[in-house]
Amino acid sequence: MVARQEQQLAATASNGNVPVAESANRLLPSTANFGAKVRQWWPYYAMMAPGIIFFVLFHYLPIWEAKIAFEQVRIIPPNIWVGIKHFQVLFTSPVFWQVLVNTLIISGMKMAFVFPVPIIVALMLNEVRSGSLRKFIQSAVYLPHFLSWVVIAGVFIAALSPSNGVVNDITGFFGGQPKSYMTDTGAIRWVLVFSEMWRSAGWDSLLYLAAIIAIDQALYDAAEMDGANRWQKILYVTIPGIVPTIATLFILNAGMFLSADLNQVINFSNDVVRSQIDIVDTYVYRIGLQTGEYSLATAAGLFKAVLGMLLILLAHLFSKRLTGKGVW
Amino acid sequence: MLMRKLLLATTALAFAMAPAFAEPVVIRMVSKDLVSTNPPDVKHIERIEAAMAAKGTEIDIQIVDLPSSGYADALSVMLLSGDIPDLIYFQGGDAKMVEQGILEDLTPWIEKSPNLKAALYPHNAERLANYPYLLYVYPPRMPQPVIRKDWLEKSGLPAPQTVEDYVALFTAIKDGDFDGDGVANTYGVTTADNTNELDSIFNQAFGVTGSWMKNEAGEWVNARITTQERDKIAFYASLREQGLFDPEYITSKFDVKEDKFYTGRAGVIFGSSAEVIDIYGGKMRQVHPGTELVLLAPPGGPAGQGNQAIDVSKEARGFAMSSLSEHKETVMALLDFMASPEGQLLDRLGFEGEEYTKSGDTYTMTDKIATWYARFFASANWTPPTPWMSTAAQASLKQVSDNFKPDNAFVFPADYAADLDATESVYRAWVYKFISGEAGMDQWPAYVAEWEAAGGSRLNEYARTVLK
Repeated sequence: MVARQEQQLAATASNGNVPVAESANRLLPSTANFGAKVRQWWPYYAMMAPGIIFFVLFHYLPIWEAKIAFEQVRIIPPNIWVGIKHFQVLFTSPVFWQVLVNTLIISGMKMAFVFPVPIIVALMLNEVRSGSLRKFIQSAVYLPHFLSWVVIAGVFIAALSPSNGVVNDITGFFGGQPKSYMTDTGAIRWVLVFSEMWRSAGWDSLLYLAAIIAIDQALYDAAEMDGANRWQKILYVTIPGIVPTIATLFILNAGMFLSADLNQVINFSNDVVRSQIDIVDTYVYRIGLQTGEYSLATAAGLFKAVLGMLLILLAHLFSKRLTGKGVW
Repeated sequence: MLMRKLLLATTALAFAMAPAFAEPVVIRMVSKDLVSTNPPDVKHIERIEAAMAAKGTEIDIQIVDLPSSGYADALSVMLLSGDIPDLIYFQGGDAKMVEQGILEDLTPWIEKSPNLKAALYPHNAERLANYPYLLYVYPPRMPQPVIRKDWLEKSGLPAPQTVEDYVALFTAIKDGDFDGDGVANTYGVTTADNTNELDSIFNQAFGVTGSWMKNEAGEWVNARITTQERDKIAFYASLREQGLFDPEYITSKFDVKEDKFYTGRAGVIFGSSAEVIDIYGGKMRQVHPGTELVLLAPPGGPAGQGNQAIDVSKEARGFAMSSLSEHKETVMALLDFMASPEGQLLDRLGFEGEEYTKSGDTYTMTDKIATWYARFFASANWTPPTPWMSTAAQASLKQVSDNFKPDNAFVFPADYAADLDATESVYRAWVYKFISGEAGMDQWPAYVAEWEAAGGSRLNEYARTVLK
């Protein structure tokens, strides 16, 4: 077993991917202490450090501060313990439940309609044989990712204007009546979904493209030998090859399920459609930051986080049952 | 003897020199758009320090940098983290700080500050009496309608004085093709985001006299569920139906609203202050050289004439002093200096050679004055050596001052935050539904019921405990 590992390391080192060649000759047993491991693999630990520090600072330390959901915050300490008072205020507010339902609906729509699109884009891009055409399409579909939601909202508001928007011009050309999509409570969630799709499909397809590239070429050669056409190769080689990536990203997305994108919703919101697209994050922003009710906002955020954790556990178990793979 | 005299003399000299070599008192100040990376801000602060030092107050004003975008939110987070500067400019979020005793009651301090006391406007005094923590020495702010002078002349109508006159003017703008593009694409009036700006001139005319009004049963209720409000909204709906009011106001931000004005897609828009009206005028002249703006008066109606009542429950923005500050006297000395004639000259006119030139006692403003703004106050008792604002902007100051009427709004306790948020959403959504025609005015009772269920009943009940 050790010999095999050494062989693999030597092979990798010959590609220049391992920092110290001699490391390959001195493998530590798995029982070696942490310090010894750090000394041997320090470049990898160094690369991990920024990410670990980021998560500790911005994701783990704040867990402790979430205790203000049970307190009345005092700038001059100490805070006053109020128990579940803020949760009671939240749960008796009809707005909060409407906000929660909106979040679930919008997130569900995004999961159902936005999540598969990058996979389809990656599969399609993989089939484009012309290198220059592929690069052009890739650039075109990546570009929206670099635009802020402020700009994208401006573009969509202009494009969807009932008086001079391009979308209504087109539908009008075919005899349709002008429609105000941005103030239509039935359409606004679809506007959110479509704009999210437009912004993220290209960029998110990168991961799937990377996964496709990693598929062993021999599998395609074997499929070709068996007489598979392009569609069959996609169906029986490419898609199964990226299923682990899809499952992992699906589970990770499930954890973010209740984060329906604060920036997007704020920029697409107006008085009429707020009741349809007001989500937990916008509620927390309004109540917490704009009116200074930090404890109430933290209670809402904490509730959302607990639901998110439950969802990620469920998605993990579901994936394990279905594909045998989960996040651990 | 000689030694004793020398000793006495040196001691006396040391005492005399002591103030001159005193360490300046460090005042930390946070204010919107005041950042240490902006050279004019830094220069301005330095000359204020120098001017105060010349008057015997050694002060070192340290700017605390915060982003202009989302200033109120960033400020709240900073204060919550325990970083409390001596002088704080708020744009909301101050009530939470007052609840926790972080802000100083300014009443006794202003009483002792001669310049500041004399610089207050009547509405400042009322607001300070109700909420003595925020100081914002500026004329009252109120959205005021403006129109291009040449368009008003083209309409062939006099400046409107009644609701009917306004309808006639909007109709003339819509039908007249004043922009000459051959397309009927101009609305009489447009606003940004909501109908607040229209309310500023139509509230009084329709009898919406304050935030709280008595209903038929003689009980205090929120004005938003009164019959007067219903009539006003019905009027807005009729404007939209006749094509006089831009139906896309709700998706327009302020920049889009302005753009519609400059490009001839809207005849009348509202400026939030005299300075903003001047900016509109400047931008309009860039697009249409020689064009002037005219300020329009609020219309008279069956219920009277005047601008919307102005909330005097508290300042919506302004300077506050930290109750934790160890240098309150110096902070107040700074504020008092900025309200003085000398401070106003510095703060309102900018730099000599930049924003103005001076020959003898004659001041001449340069074009750069358009981009200069006072970092502190616009004192009520200060007269500039030469007026530089446009006629429309000056008229707006006079109009809002002449029409000043205090509102009966008051500050709600924090427990009502969720109710205020919910009722606001219900009101806003229904107003658009009525205006757009999605809901008929016969659905008014349904709106009222939803507003009350969203927390409005609680708000009304609380109001009845406050208003007598």
